[in-house]
Amino acid sequence: MSYKNFFDPWIILPTILFAIFVVPVVWIISSLFGEYSDNWTHIYNYTLSNYIYNTIFIIIGTSIGTLIIGVGSAWLVTTYNFTGKNILEWALLLPFAVPPYILAYTFTGLFDSYGTANNLIRDIFSLPHEFIFFPKLRNVYGASIVFSFTLYPYVYLVSRMAFINQSRSIMEVGRTLGFSKFKVFYKIGIPSIRPAIIAGLMLVLMETISDFGAVEHFSVNTFTTGIFSTWFGLYDFHTAKQLAALLLIVVITFLVLEKYSRRKNRYSSGSNVFGPIVAEKLRGSKNFFASLFCMLPVFVGFVLPNIQLAYWALNYKLEFFNEKFITTAWNTFYLAIITAIICALLAVIINFSIRYKKNKILNILSSFLTVGYAVPGLILALGVSQLLVFMDNLLFREYLDFVLTGSLVGLVLAFIIKSFALANSTIESGFLRINTRLDDVARTTNTSGWKLLTQIHLPLLTTSFLTSMILVVSEVIKELPASLILRPFNYDTLAISTYIYAAEERMFDAAAPSIAIVGVGLLPIIILSRLTVKSRPGYRNNDSHYQSY
Amino acid sequence: MNLATKLLQISLAVFIFSANSFANEVNLYSGRHYDSDEQLYAKFTAETGIKVNVISGKGKALMQQIITEGASSPADLFVTVDAGNLWKAEKEGLFEPIDDFDASSIKIRSVVPDNLKGPNTTWVALAKRARIMYYNPRTVSAAELEGLTYEDLAKPEWNGRVVIRKSSNMYNQSLVASLVANHGVEATEAWANGLVSNMARKPEGNDRAQIMAVANGEADIAVANSYYIALMLSGKKGAEQQVAANKVVPYFPSQDGRGTHINVSGIGMLKLGPNKDNALRLIEFLLSETAQNHIVNNSFEYPLLEGVNPHPLIAQFGTDFKQDQTPVSSYGEFNPDAVKLMERVGW
Repeated sequence: MSYKNFFDPWIILPTILFAIFVVPVVWIISSLFGEYSDNWTHIYNYTLSNYIYNTIFIIIGTSIGTLIIGVGSAWLVTTYNFTGKNILEWALLLPFAVPPYILAYTFTGLFDSYGTANNLIRDIFSLPHEFIFFPKLRNVYGASIVFSFTLYPYVYLVSRMAFINQSRSIMEVGRTLGFSKFKVFYKIGIPSIRPAIIAGLMLVLMETISDFGAVEHFSVNTFTTGIFSTWFGLYDFHTAKQLAALLLIVVITFLVLEKYSRRKNRYSSGSNVFGPIVAEKLRGSKNFFASLFCMLPVFVGFVLPNIQLAYWALNYKLEFFNEKFITTAWNTFYLAIITAIICALLAVIINFSIRYKKNKILNILSSFLTVGYAVPGLILALGVSQLLVFMDNLLFREYLDFVLTGSLVGLVLAFIIKSFALANSTIESGFLRINTRLDDVARTTNTSGWKLLTQIHLPLLTTSFLTSMILVVSEVIKELPASLILRPFNYDTLAISTYIYAAEERMFDAAAPSIAIVGVGLLPIIILSRLTVKSRPGYRNNDSHYQSY
Repeated sequence: MNLATKLLQISLAVFIFSANSFANEVNLYSGRHYDSDEQLYAKFTAETGIKVNVISGKGKALMQQIITEGASSPADLFVTVDAGNLWKAEKEGLFEPIDDFDASSIKIRSVVPDNLKGPNTTWVALAKRARIMYYNPRTVSAAELEGLTYEDLAKPEWNGRVVIRKSSNMYNQSLVASLVANHGVEATEAWANGLVSNMARKPEGNDRAQIMAVANGEADIAVANSYYIALMLSGKKGAEQQVAANKVVPYFPSQDGRGTHINVSGIGMLKLGPNKDNALRLIEFLLSETAQNHIVNNSFEYPLLEGVNPHPLIAQFGTDFKQDQTPVSSYGEFNPDAVKLMERVGW
């Protein structure tokens, strides 16, 4: 990079933005350069191997689960017609609205030895009191199941978008070669969308790693519960931060590796191969199993927990839905929208800079921001506090009666860092789909910089932009332990109402706000499902274009 | 883009507004999450005109937030449900000793016994809870209960009969820390080892889940906080729990020895808080008869104030039981030791 480039606004702007947002992450990692307390001996000797073992087990289990459910159902609804497909293709996104810890709580409510489901089985078959039908879920297997059924929509969404955008002609080649349906799927369908699947899987894994609520409820010790037991139990925040930093370094390594591996495989297809998807009609048992395969995740990840929640809420805490609820719901939605807009804009600016200025350093560095998704919320929140206090002292205290500490700024900042990965993955793949030749043509007509971004790229990015916003919205609505300590006084959101009760396993009290989270989260999900279908190139000319095909 | 710019402008306006403060107020960082506490603060506001602003969250996280915010922190008071947190906040030098404020301190000091407050009254307890046992009267004999202590639960006759929640729970950490304070780490670790081998199942669930396990016959005896039995009996948690609560009997352990383990909800005034006078008034209010009655009738804790009676649902099990006089502040001091030894024995 020459010195001239250094002063280019398309280098400076994204770099400054990046610098602000990355401070809290750097603050966590910087703890590794501090002192190491005696507690490390205890952690190393007694708990670390258990944390690592369980974490890896859950990561592998969740990967397998989300891949089978996510990719499998995406392939089915894209390629075939079967009973209920029109509903299932958007219903498969519904578990997005259910945070893993809420599924965990409802699962134990249902399947514990004396939970609803076991009681029901005993009642129906008049079985003895000691008879337990459903196996115990409070273990690594249960945790993997919970994460698989709540997080597979990330994989489903990216796979589905990728399958929709996939060239049909290569599938047809497969069929003419005499491949079976399944062989087309795993020999041709999957390999050509592998980068998308891996990007979706990375999101799943980062959320799995940072989860505290579900694994704590299942009494499974993971790396993240270890961070909290060091902080809350050993009263050692510094060592907790160091553990978090180690976790982040592992995640960053994976992110960089993923970026690196993707550079070698550029999958592209000619622009004229997007023939209409003619979904094949399935019949008989194939029809039945395809329906069942796509219905199961919706049932387990959405219907079942909501039945249990509704049962709890109706019995115990209906007065939650009062006028205060409206404020709380509005706060939640407002925060989510603001965060989503900023997140998406930030992702656009950073990715545009990477593309337009071929800014390789920023490309690698942006992994440091993406990694915010894997940071346990409370630790991230304290990093943000640190930044706010610093900025307050630097900027405001002398001149203005205006402080950032305790304002919504901190909250939004934390959400942005936490959910940037979601916005980034969609925007990044959106940019990849825009042919670089377009940029070259634009340059010849003197369209560059701001004009190139707003007049050429942004219109082509509309779907990606909205998708990234919606992902962030649904993330902010459900997942916010960070907000517990960063929010202004007396400021409640739905997730706070849920979390405060759920953290103490007061599920009856938490049920009503949980249902509200699901309800508020549904709207963006329904919009999202509409967008996914439209994301196929040339969709807008659908009627005229395809009819003349 | 236009819409985005507008939203950004609006949001900036909201930020400025939300950062602004009202003059007559007091700011509370609270680790207690009871709806009834909000009603209590509303009573205070009605009485004094002082607005109470609350952020509730996890005790340790709020404490770390107070440390991080330093002089920028708006917090005046820190409320928590575990004595260990109070000890730690005091050690970190976050609290202003109430003894330095003559008029208020006399009133506050006269109410709070020495073992339930910090040095120089840096913090005071607001309400007490006992960590007691719940047994199944059909499987546990009177002879077995005779003089039963926490220490006894490690004895072989309880093999496969005990349930207690995970070591990550702060009430367990405080209980074990109190044992460390009395017996030292080594003896307590041997005890914890015995207890773990006596457990009827791998620790799971909250305190109520332990009581449910005894009611369902999964175990014979459980360790859990005192207010849960009243909560369950009240029917607020559903008919199922009410039925279960009637199948178990609460037992106050160690009556012939040190007494039953006590923990507290407590409050401390923060050194760097902007509204000290209002903070003191709120503490005084929380120790008043009105407030104490409100607390015990909603959370089923034991009152701090003499002359206030616990709620009948909990008082029926006795109010004059012997309470462990181990200073609650020692729970914090020995908490890390307690956690480590519990992790070593796989609790």
